[in-house]
Amino acid sequence: MAKEKAHFWYTVNGRMLLAAWKRPEFKFGLFVFIFLLLLSIFLPMLSEVSATKIAVRDRFMPPVVMEGGSAKHLFGTDQLGRDLLLRSLIGLQNALLIGVLSVLGMFIVGAIVGIVSGYRGGWMDTILMRITDAQMSIPVVILAITILGVSRPTPYSVILVLVLAGWPTYARVIRSAALSESKKEYVRAAKIIGASNTRIMARHIAPNILPPVAFIGVLDIARMMIFEAIFGFIGIGIQPPTPTFGNILADGTKYLINAWWITVIPGLFLFAALLSLNFIGNALEKARNDVLGGHH
Amino acid sequence: MAAAKTPLLSVRNLEVTAHLRRGDQNVLSNISFDLGAGEVLGVIGESGAGMTVLSRAIVNWLPAPLAVTRGEILFRGNNLLNMPEEDAAKLRGKEIAYIGSDPTTALDPTVPIGTHLTAKLMAVKPEMSKAEARQRIFDLFDAVRIPSPKARFNEFPFQFSGGMMQRVMIVDALSADPALLIADNITQPLDVTVAKQIVRLLNGLKEDFDTSIIFVSSSLPMAMDISQELLVLQQGKVLERATPQDLISNPQTDYTRRLIEQVPRIWEVDHTPPASVSQKPILSVQNASKTYHTKDPDKVFGTQAVQAVRGVSFDILEGENFGIVGESGCGKSTLSRLLSWIEAPDTGDIFFDGESISAMDAKGIKNLRRQFQLILQDPYTCLPAHKTITQIIGEPMVIHKLAAGKALKERVAEVMQEVGLPDDTGNKLPFQLSASQRQRVNIARAMVMKPRLLILDETLSSLDQLEQARLLELFDKLQKEHKFTYIFISHDLALVRRACSRIGVMYLGRMAEVAENEELFFEPRHPYSRAMLSAMPTLEKNRYDAATCLLDGEPPSPVNIPPGCSFRTRCPDAIDACGKVDPKVTLDGTTQVECHLFE
Amino acid sequence: MAFVLSFLLRRLSQGLVIILLVGFVIFSLLRIIPGDPVRMMVGPMASEEQVEEIAAELGLRDPMVVQFGRYLFQLSQGDLGKSFIKNKSGASSAGGRESQGLDNKANVLDLIISTVPFSLQLAGLGIAFALLFSIPLGIAAGLRPSGIIAKIAFAISSIFVSLPNIWLAILLILVISTNLQWLPAIGYKGFSYTILPAIILAVELSAVIVRALSSSVTAIMQESYVQAGVVRGLSMGHMIRHHVLRNSSIPMLNLFGAQLGGLLLGSMFVVEYIFNYPGLGLLTINAVFQRDFPVIQGVAIITTAVLVLINIIVDLISAGIDRRLQY
Repeated sequence: MAKEKAHFWYTVNGRMLLAAWKRPEFKFGLFVFIFLLLLSIFLPMLSEVSATKIAVRDRFMPPVVMEGGSAKHLFGTDQLGRDLLLRSLIGLQNALLIGVLSVLGMFIVGAIVGIVSGYRGGWMDTILMRITDAQMSIPVVILAITILGVSRPTPYSVILVLVLAGWPTYARVIRSAALSESKKEYVRAAKIIGASNTRIMARHIAPNILPPVAFIGVLDIARMMIFEAIFGFIGIGIQPPTPTFGNILADGTKYLINAWWITVIPGLFLFAALLSLNFIGNALEKARNDVLGGHH
Repeated sequence: MAAAKTPLLSVRNLEVTAHLRRGDQNVLSNISFDLGAGEVLGVIGESGAGMTVLSRAIVNWLPAPLAVTRGEILFRGNNLLNMPEEDAAKLRGKEIAYIGSDPTTALDPTVPIGTHLTAKLMAVKPEMSKAEARQRIFDLFDAVRIPSPKARFNEFPFQFSGGMMQRVMIVDALSADPALLIADNITQPLDVTVAKQIVRLLNGLKEDFDTSIIFVSSSLPMAMDISQELLVLQQGKVLERATPQDLISNPQTDYTRRLIEQVPRIWEVDHTPPASVSQKPILSVQNASKTYHTKDPDKVFGTQAVQAVRGVSFDILEGENFGIVGESGCGKSTLSRLLSWIEAPDTGDIFFDGESISAMDAKGIKNLRRQFQLILQDPYTCLPAHKTITQIIGEPMVIHKLAAGKALKERVAEVMQEVGLPDDTGNKLPFQLSASQRQRVNIARAMVMKPRLLILDETLSSLDQLEQARLLELFDKLQKEHKFTYIFISHDLALVRRACSRIGVMYLGRMAEVAENEELFFEPRHPYSRAMLSAMPTLEKNRYDAATCLLDGEPPSPVNIPPGCSFRTRCPDAIDACGKVDPKVTLDGTTQVECHLFE
Repeated sequence: MAFVLSFLLRRLSQGLVIILLVGFVIFSLLRIIPGDPVRMMVGPMASEEQVEEIAAELGLRDPMVVQFGRYLFQLSQGDLGKSFIKNKSGASSAGGRESQGLDNKANVLDLIISTVPFSLQLAGLGIAFALLFSIPLGIAAGLRPSGIIAKIAFAISSIFVSLPNIWLAILLILVISTNLQWLPAIGYKGFSYTILPAIILAVELSAVIVRALSSSVTAIMQESYVQAGVVRGLSMGHMIRHHVLRNSSIPMLNLFGAQLGGLLLGSMFVVEYIFNYPGLGLLTINAVFQRDFPVIQGVAIITTAVLVLINIIVDLISAGIDRRLQY
């Protein structure tokens, strides 16, 4: 096994990762992302300041660089005196968790549906694709506000809604990849040696088509984080007191004129995280195009 | 004339360099030659000799990282390489025309053919009106024998076959009466009969247009057909220039001699049939047919039936080498899918060892797969890219649970040795292997379960002559050791001539003729077999003259084939009965011909 | 012509199925999910009997299939039902005193029709801004994929796609509307109220359009027929105008069909909510908070129908540009 692993960088997937690594925006994005990730995991653990405890004396404290700021709250406090840095970082934790889990969910559902309908074709394909058609015709926000707005939103229902809204796109992309793959010679060769359909789908087609799609999933993590923030902002996301970008921003708008930092600071953290993810995702996408495009 | 003083085209010390990351590499060096007005110069060499780079350099179409680094290309005495852009623009398409090897990607597929051609003609000849340009193109469509030109004028590039598209490109190139035409491998992707038609056409047109032609080809006989002189290129250098006759009779270099040797022989070769052929059929195809239904774009509802294979019957005897030949669209790839039971025939049946395959259940078919295996054409695409060679070769054993662990390892090593794969390839990935090594992996995977029948679907097509010969030797050796039966499916007559004992010729989904090797090549019965033979590019004297045997036009579409003999629309010997009754003639147990003339 | 006819027949019937499916999903979701709309209508003071009485009157206690069948029957007559909450006068009456009966409640269709022009104005302006900005930038970047414009375009689209629309909206309100007082922001008292929300939409759309357009132009430029055209004697300008732009319009159309329709609708809803802009989105979000089922259903069905229609039109145009898509 060890010997076979050494070849990873020669495989298409390995070469795609290498090609992405060669891009400056990939390294930059990865660096910023890892920095934010470590910060959001460890700072709330190590800090003695609480993100949720109300401290009325410290409220509306601006960031340290401004007059009235304090080194205790580097990025200032909100209307209840809670530390904005910590609240943003916990918001980031929650956003990332929801983003990653929901993309994972839609990827898994999309992969199964997509590979089966692309490879098997026939009536199964027709039905599955009509379902995705219908699903894709409902705008995410309408679906979300209907489900979340009418029920009591929990982290699970937020993830569920995002998976529900997102899987058809994955199913379609993976289906068309599986369809073109199923016409290739290596699939025919696998049939001839007697491989079962399940084996061909799982062992031959999936390893070839899923990694490139997963690469682009990074971009979707960023999109899902935005959706999570939107839900929170409208009031149909994870409920306070748990800090999320959405409910922090929604709170902040009430004090926009006098304490703009309550909205601006958390937004900056979200923006930085999204930008780093988009840089990583774009670099992976370009690397994929270069490697797969130059392959033929 | 002026040609006596200055040649039309004069290439001087041309050097083209590829600027690669690991350093510069010369692709062409020190190329010099002259071309007079009205002359035809053939440029030949192996693929990779720089022939396409040379022709592209003349029309200033070198893709990065290639660039001209030295020398000059004089057209009527003016250097094309340092000419002001506005002067060069006046020559492109008007004085110098270029036709490439892939006509299907030469035109924007979303725009009708006629629009492309008139736009070009009016761009290089602004004095022409639209009506004049259209008329000119209609006339030329007639000249290159494109049927119903007015209708085809408004059709789109993807509605044309490769051969028809190449005719369109010839019209496009010649419409402005260019002084120089560069034909870069224009017959390469075409079937032999179509390629022969195109060369014949160009041969006729060059008189009418008084155009000088540079005819680039990797096929020596093809270039000889049309050229007054030949230029031999090897690794970017000119080796020699001679008239075709001199070149053949008195080659100056080993390389040229090798080029001549590599041209396949059809009649001057000996064929030794396989040692032991039993009279018992191992595979028996009975009246198999396959029709695909696609949406008919001209109807609101309804589909059209593409009849790919139409009632084919033949036996394959244990121990023989059976060849199936035919041109693109003849149904041989569908037949290959039926033979390997990837798809089931609509009607008819296939028997393996006397047992009906259609009557078997999934488990029976899976077990059957141990007995027959298919080796595919393209060694690049038929191996899973992410698995190691050992895993690939061992996979059939794992699927059929024939061996595991140490036994599996030993069996894989044994097979690898048999097909001539070095031990250290076992842990490599397919893309790290050469084309011929990959093909050997393919063969190893097919024989790891010790099958009895091997179907070779264009298996050797992508390899050069030398490698083909080596693999044929390997097949021969394996046959002797394991008593394999082979089915060779190929478009290449020269290959089946060398490899097969009995050959079936397919045309439009039917088996036009099945005959013994010698019989087919020396006494072909079916007019189509004769036509294919007459189109073979060979250096020997072709036993069948293209002037009388070669057909015009292309096979009709496999959609809604009319009743009667499907070949009658192109057959020089057609009689009344051909239009009414489907011919079906069996001469004896192993020979058949579908032609009324043999009833 | 046979193609257009069979295409429309096939796609319109498929579209109808999709709309029914979506309608049914939303319809059943609303009834499965806890939260009684009648309680919202009558307010917390009403007795249990009153609630049941009104629920029965509205048919809300019938089996779901019966309710859906009734809904479909009304729908076939162009009737989307009546709002549970909104009065004809426009005022909401949640927890209302005079809430018995639906007689003075507004028609859902009327509510939707009264808000659609605002949303159309917003969407139209947003798309116009986005196209004006991204088409020149995307084409310029695509023609020279390693040039400086391409780098700028890449940076801009990366930043745009990373800007959460809610945050951007708040920032713009803060800076442009509150501090600089260049443009009004909240509510609607005239055309100028549309500009700021339209900019937010345009930023979101541009991020996607610039990237898709530049990469499709780059890809088409590498097609061999483009260079071959120059060798054939046509100018590069001719090739770009007649062939590159023509072919790169197909992926753009697909983008509009598959992605931008949903994206636009989705962000329009959010933007309308933030800016308190009286369009379809605000109507819907308020309806959700008030459990106004008929309005939610009506909006879902109408937006789905619009998306389905956009997709059909887009595919028809694409197949007209590239005939291969007809096969």
